[in-house]
Amino acid sequence: MASSLFSYFVVAMVLLSIGLVGVFSRKNIFVIYMSIELMLSAVNLIFVALSNYYHSMASQIIAMMVIAIAAAEAALFLSLIVVLYRRKKTLDSDMYKALSQKETL
Amino acid sequence: MDMIFLILSFFAIAGAVGMVLAHQPVHSALSLILTIIALAGLFALLSASFLFMVQIIVYAGAVITLFIFIIMFLNVKEANLPKEPNKNITIFLGFIGLLPLNFLILKALYHMPSKALVLSQNGFGEIKSLGMELFEKWLLPFELISILLLVALIGAVVFGRKEEG
Repeated sequence: MASSLFSYFVVAMVLLSIGLVGVFSRKNIFVIYMSIELMLSAVNLIFVALSNYYHSMASQIIAMMVIAIAAAEAALFLSLIVVLYRRKKTLDSDMYKALSQKETL
Repeated sequence: MDMIFLILSFFAIAGAVGMVLAHQPVHSALSLILTIIALAGLFALLSASFLFMVQIIVYAGAVITLFIFIIMFLNVKEANLPKEPNKNITIFLGFIGLLPLNFLILKALYHMPSKALVLSQNGFGEIKSLGMELFEKWLLPFELISILLLVALIGAVVFGRKEEG
């Protein structure tokens, strides 16, 4: 039987690792954001698998709230990207260092 | 059912890998849509039919579409994309670095109780049971989420204002 709780956890683990690697190793701010979304989705998969395992609706509610928080995060993050791109004319996350160094915006 | 699970998880992982490897943001977003829809299929396989719809409508329909809209709206030229000459090497090194962590998790998971997950009957995961649970036991978090969405809306408007000076 392939579709046990274990295999769902393995799929979520692989997706979470890929998202973590994306956050570490890419410079494109869009890809970093999408990797964060991917990690949120992997955690959602764990919640839904546990909901089926324990036959309880509570973790499906939590998964739904994670989706709502991801939507709120998308609105804020995308408007932030628009502002940053207007100022710097680049998507390179290494160029956004106004908070770390003394530099005129 | 096993076959469906294997196909869906293959598509989810393939989409995720494509998202990390793609150079253009639009290709990344399209790969992410593949992953999201495959994950929605996995939700349906876990008899979470309402979350299946929410995942497709909210994630694939709203979040990623907004995302592709912003990418096209910014109209990023090739010169404005970050140059990542060592991208494949850093991704490979990242995977190598995460391998010990994954082995540790696998070892922990191996000793965990596990059973086959099956589609359940009598309305589990449908909109009625989810709504009853949500409005009986999770009312306060639900209202807090609505306030959070309002704050995000106001924040997006403040960010998007034209800057003075």
